[in-house]
Amino acid sequence: MTSEMFRLVIFDAILAAVAAIGFAVISNPSRKAIFVSALLAAIGHSLRFFLIKSGLDITLATFVAATAIGLLSVAFARIIHCPAEVFSFPSLLPMIPGMFAYRTILSLIKFMQNTDSKLDQVFIMDFFHNGMTAMFILFALVVGVSLPLLLFPKSSFSVTRKY
Amino acid sequence: MIPNPELKEPDIHEVADLLTEVASTLMTSGAHTSRISQNVSRMAETYGYQVGLSVFQLSIMMTITSLENSHERITLIKKTDPLLINYTIVSDLSALSWDTFDGKITFEDARELYQQITTKKRISRWAVLLLVSFANAAFCGLFHGDIYAISLVLFATMAGFLIRQEMIKKHINHLVVYTTSAFVASLLAGMAYVYNIGATPDIALASSVLYLIPGVPLINSILDIIQGHILTGMARLVNAISLIVCISIGLFSSMLILGLEKL
Repeated sequence: MTSEMFRLVIFDAILAAVAAIGFAVISNPSRKAIFVSALLAAIGHSLRFFLIKSGLDITLATFVAATAIGLLSVAFARIIHCPAEVFSFPSLLPMIPGMFAYRTILSLIKFMQNTDSKLDQVFIMDFFHNGMTAMFILFALVVGVSLPLLLFPKSSFSVTRKY
Repeated sequence: MIPNPELKEPDIHEVADLLTEVASTLMTSGAHTSRISQNVSRMAETYGYQVGLSVFQLSIMMTITSLENSHERITLIKKTDPLLINYTIVSDLSALSWDTFDGKITFEDARELYQQITTKKRISRWAVLLLVSFANAAFCGLFHGDIYAISLVLFATMAGFLIRQEMIKKHINHLVVYTTSAFVASLLAGMAYVYNIGATPDIALASSVLYLIPGVPLINSILDIIQGHILTGMARLVNAISLIVCISIGLFSSMLILGLEKL
């Protein structure tokens, strides 16, 4: 990893942490959970950024990043005694394919309004490209983050147990 | 289950009332379906009952049966409040269900703790407003917007989110809230086009509405689907998609006013 690349990854991590804090507070978690989700988002998002820059496609990179977040969140859940999803879901929020999602709808609106039959194909291609990407990223996020939950269900569900 | 001699066996009606309250509060607070059913079954087991639970978007249905005498059973349906995500409640109620299961608290304690958990104050709305604005500005930075785009998005988000908070307080239909909020935020960010601010007006406009994307409902819906609660998952997914459609309509309206063809 060159120093230029390293600088970009760190920059990405910091921005992702700020984004995660803001999007997390909407769902009103405890203060400890906010900090952990910022940390996890920084790790996950910068990992995804690095993988995409290394040539992986966005869905696969998202899956790897979400799995990393999922595994770390089980470890953190044991430390701060709170269910893993309380901070692992907010830390996924910066990776939610929001732009792909609304571009899907926008291209549908464009398709409906369009009168030029040549442009029709462009809008339908846009619709499928954006829609499929959004759906696959969403599945990659959720399957990745819940792999630990599916693999070790017992330990994941009992973290709030005190005795 | 740890038998506790001091524990007075609670009446089936009391248990059912508490458990339906807990389940519907968890649903309102944005827990996924399997966590709701795990928490509720765990509490019921402690008091010597078994529950069957169906979770829908607007109501929950619960049948509670005594483990000792299977003729003693009741079914309740409870309406759930509209979604207001609150992870502190999810976390605390999960802890409450384990405390109950481990026999550390009596039924009366559980009922009192439930009241305390649900009446806890949320994070101040001004703090949320500020943090969300900075988050969306950081998001604009993640898409390589320049400093002008970032500061414009900061103000656009602040205005859009303030309007959303005010409208939610007045109990306006949430689809209208999302459309209006997206419209205002994107119109303000679109000023980058009108006044030629910065080199990346497209990124400012595109990331100005991202704070509205219903991330947690989307994640919950996919999680429900892969865990087999397909009906609930689909209901949540359709709900989230309809919000995204509203965001797009808001964004599209301001693009129409600004005279932009493509984003």
